[in-house]
Amino acid sequence: MTAQRTDLITGGVIAVIGAVYYIATFSIQETANIVTPRTFPAIVGIALIVLGLFLAGQAVYRARKTALAEAGPGVGDAPGVGIGDGAAASAGEAADPHEPRGGVTLEAPPEPATRKVVFQFALFFVYLAILIPVGFLLSTAAFLMGLTSIYAPEKWIRNLIFSVVFAVIVYGAFVYGLAVYLPVGILG
Amino acid sequence: MDTLIDLGGGFASALEPASLAFALLGVLLGTVVGVLPGIGPISAIAILIPVSFGMEPVHGLILLCGIYYGSMYGGSITATLIKTPGEVASAVTAIEGYEMARRGRGKAALATAAIGSFLAGTLAIIGLTFLSPLLVKLANVFGATEYFLLMATALLLASTMSAGSRAKALISIFIGLAVGLIGLDFQTGLPRQTFGIDLLSDGVDFTIFAMALFAIPEAIRNLALGRGAKETIQSFGEDKWMTRQDWQRSAGPWARGSVLGFIIGILPGVGPSLASFMSYIMEKRISKRKEEFGHGAIEGVAGPEAANNAGVGGAMIPLFSLGIPGSATTALLLFVFTMYGLQPGPLIFRDETGLIWTIIASMYIGNIALIILNLPLVGVFVKLLKMPKEILFSAILVLVVIGAYAIEFSLFGLMMLGIFGITGYLMEKGGIPLAPAILALVLVPLLEDNFRRMLQISGGSFAPLVTRPVSLSIIILMVAGIVGPMLFRWWVSRRQLLADVTVS
Repeated sequence: MTAQRTDLITGGVIAVIGAVYYIATFSIQETANIVTPRTFPAIVGIALIVLGLFLAGQAVYRARKTALAEAGPGVGDAPGVGIGDGAAASAGEAADPHEPRGGVTLEAPPEPATRKVVFQFALFFVYLAILIPVGFLLSTAAFLMGLTSIYAPEKWIRNLIFSVVFAVIVYGAFVYGLAVYLPVGILG
Repeated sequence: MDTLIDLGGGFASALEPASLAFALLGVLLGTVVGVLPGIGPISAIAILIPVSFGMEPVHGLILLCGIYYGSMYGGSITATLIKTPGEVASAVTAIEGYEMARRGRGKAALATAAIGSFLAGTLAIIGLTFLSPLLVKLANVFGATEYFLLMATALLLASTMSAGSRAKALISIFIGLAVGLIGLDFQTGLPRQTFGIDLLSDGVDFTIFAMALFAIPEAIRNLALGRGAKETIQSFGEDKWMTRQDWQRSAGPWARGSVLGFIIGILPGVGPSLASFMSYIMEKRISKRKEEFGHGAIEGVAGPEAANNAGVGGAMIPLFSLGIPGSATTALLLFVFTMYGLQPGPLIFRDETGLIWTIIASMYIGNIALIILNLPLVGVFVKLLKMPKEILFSAILVLVVIGAYAIEFSLFGLMMLGIFGITGYLMEKGGIPLAPAILALVLVPLLEDNFRRMLQISGGSFAPLVTRPVSLSIIILMVAGIVGPMLFRWWVSRRQLLADVTVS
């Protein structure tokens, strides 16, 4: 997927979210205040729509420019769009360099396969869903065993020991040390 | 003089065994999260918020502040030894530091980073000590108008100063604002943007949002990547520590990095990571050994590492004296203050003098502890890097889940964690930075409240923005801060263009 395509989709999704958010502001009760409870949410909704459309429009414009540049013979000023575009920024606090070309080039982290990401998230949600009914100890040990076994099935003994010991230690530390009561579930 | 007396009092209580223990624990944990790639100060502080809830406020704050500045030290170790920054502010150290390590100069790289961090960190805390009381005096003339403007500036700078697309950084801010507005309007008590879900009327919990955005996407991404190529950890057995020449070459970058980092740190909306990038670019520009950059120039480690530590001290100034966070991490710390029922700003210096000065004093102590711990214990920290990825990241996921459970005690809270985790992952995939959203989420109630008060006082007129001298000055500075860099870039690119034309 090219950088432009990603931007087009991202922009479109943001604009849709903005629209939904803006429509939701109609159900906020109006008041007589100068700044009504609706004012800020409405501004935010509109801003998201505008920014989303801008991002999508910019992507289309850039894609066209690139296509033209490729079609044009010889004038080899191929724009280096998308080299690590935003990869550095997404990592944490406002990262920056002003000049992507002069000084610093950071390697973008590798991207995992979508299928695997979906699977990991699915496993995570199963854990979230069973945590309270099944209880912390059992669900956590099972979750950890599952995750580590996908990664390193041959080390199952180590995985099992880690899963059980980690769950027990964390449970003990939170319940007896910090008085944060974790769900006991079916063991209780 | 008053300042010194207050600081002395702070030291007296920061040196009590319990406070001392929390400071040491904080910097140690900070170093560990700094060392471990994929878990930075934001995730670590967010995970520990539920834990620190039951602590004495002063202990909780000493601990969490220690994690913040401690993580800056740890990040350089990972950057130098495996070329992966332990946290963002060390990203540039991964360039020169790693090259130095490959050439058998790893110890010198770590030493210049640690010593630079200590000097810059300490200088910044001295700055914090003496500037905060001044700013507090200034803050007494601040009204709703000025607070509104400062927060708007923080958000604007957070978007203009970030890497990549500015539109995407703005989108991140508006996502944060959108999430922050969910729940009951505190002025009228009316529900807003709850989409008919009653449970949403309490709003989205800030800690859950921060953990979901920062810890989950990173953990899931690493787990999904599976076992990649094994990272090689650079070792150093026979290397020398810093030579005389290294000291000479490091001194300048340390000094410049400290000043630059401190100034950037104070600016609202910009964190220490920008400081380290700017320092790197500056050192490269003014260096007489430009050809060494990219091949292990010690200046490229000394400057940025000093800058990011000075940046942390600088960033604490607007947080402590005005109650305005300048970055995602300080936004979390602001949240911790309010969790304890404390409001940073002029009032905390008046009503909680002991507490605030104890925290500041603990930062001096923490920095000394870091330099003492850091170099001798490097070997121990390196062992952490050998921890299998699947163990580390699955453990992080469990800790995040406990954190979310301890806040809401409900399935709803857990599901929010999961849903915002997906949101964070998709945002990263679309190239939208995550940090501005966190800052916006914390600022939105304050932003709206001050905006309302401003218009209430003026009877609906925007005139106070320009008629009040302080607010007018802020506007002028804000415009200069945003337009200035744009003009500079335009000027540079024009000059470049002209040069190109002349050459051809």
